[in-house]
Amino acid sequence: MNERQLIARVIAGDRLAGRTLYDTHAPRVYSLAYRLSGDAEKAREVTQDTFIRAFSRLAQFRGDAAFSTWLHRIVVTVVSNARRSEVRIAREVALDEAHSIEMTAPEAEPDLKESIARAVDNLSEAYRTTLILHDIEGYTHAEIASMLGVPEGTCKSRLSAARAQLREQLAAFKE
Amino acid sequence: MDDDQFDEVLRDLPRTFNVPPEPPLDEMWSVIEASHFNAPVPISAPRGFTSRAPWLAVAAALVVGIGIGHYLPLGKTAPANATSPSAIASSNSSSAVKDTSAVADAYRDQTSRYLGQAAALLISLPARDANAKTDATFASKAADLLVTTRLLIDSPAAAEDPKLHSLLEDLELVLVQIARLRGARSKGDLDLIHQAVEQGDVISRLNSAVATTQSSE
Repeated sequence: MNERQLIARVIAGDRLAGRTLYDTHAPRVYSLAYRLSGDAEKAREVTQDTFIRAFSRLAQFRGDAAFSTWLHRIVVTVVSNARRSEVRIAREVALDEAHSIEMTAPEAEPDLKESIARAVDNLSEAYRTTLILHDIEGYTHAEIASMLGVPEGTCKSRLSAARAQLREQLAAFKE
Repeated sequence: MDDDQFDEVLRDLPRTFNVPPEPPLDEMWSVIEASHFNAPVPISAPRGFTSRAPWLAVAAALVVGIGIGHYLPLGKTAPANATSPSAIASSNSSSAVKDTSAVADAYRDQTSRYLGQAAALLISLPARDANAKTDATFASKAADLLVTTRLLIDSPAAAEDPKLHSLLEDLELVLVQIARLRGARSKGDLDLIHQAVEQGDVISRLNSAVATTQSSE
């Protein structure tokens, strides 16, 4: 049974077909969710949300792009929405805790791995997502453009800018 | 950091940045299944167990089926002298009533036997400090009973008896928890099972159900 037939069965309410489709795509979806969120619990929630949304919207999938690309676009959207609300909450908490910052002990010098993680996380949302999708998850610019709904050229320039910013942040690091 | 070092950082990113752990596929699916296909969450997790061992479901269905078949009346042919349509209709009608009653009796007998086994399992539930070997034995018995539970929940015996249906559903939840003891268990797992049994008053309801089914046989 091919993927299109599986999708038709899921639309008809066949849970076995749903599980088959899930088994095929869930590992990659979870991996992408984890790379973008950096947290196992969040990755689990994102994966669940992604499939629940995808299954309920399967009838809208026209097959213009690969099913995996369509699914991964949902992942990026779900993570992006979650991060936005987290940033909003973090800002509010930061204001509340502003006084306690002075009291905390100075942190130890981070190692290269930590510095890279911080540098990636410090990138803007668009740059960070593009860098993760291209340099870590190995998507092509065409796939990323389709996922993010931007022209390929935008995708390339974002990647270039993301790398430049990353390099700048790591410039001072000496092994 | 020079160009070469930075290129190396980029090359290593897939191995160093947010490396994903093994995805909890069954756990996530149980939520997705419940949400999209309206399956109850507590039931869906151990479904992975039966889906990994489909023979067990078939075996349990066979056991229940054979048990029921054992109690059904053997002679089902119409009497030789019943030649007129009305006589045949009358004969078939009484035979159908007899068959329906026999099926109900058979289900009741199977239910009684099952309830006895479930009560025995719960009464001898391991203590909180039990070792892993004991857990595995109980988990295995619970998994066997779990499949029968699900078959009985959908049976005529449970459909006609709301109390029995409710008891079977509570038992299902407890058996699910016990069956999960196969894997690594956290410190509080057995506590939770004991609590579920106590709060639902499962053992006394079980004893009462066993007495009821036995007295009606």
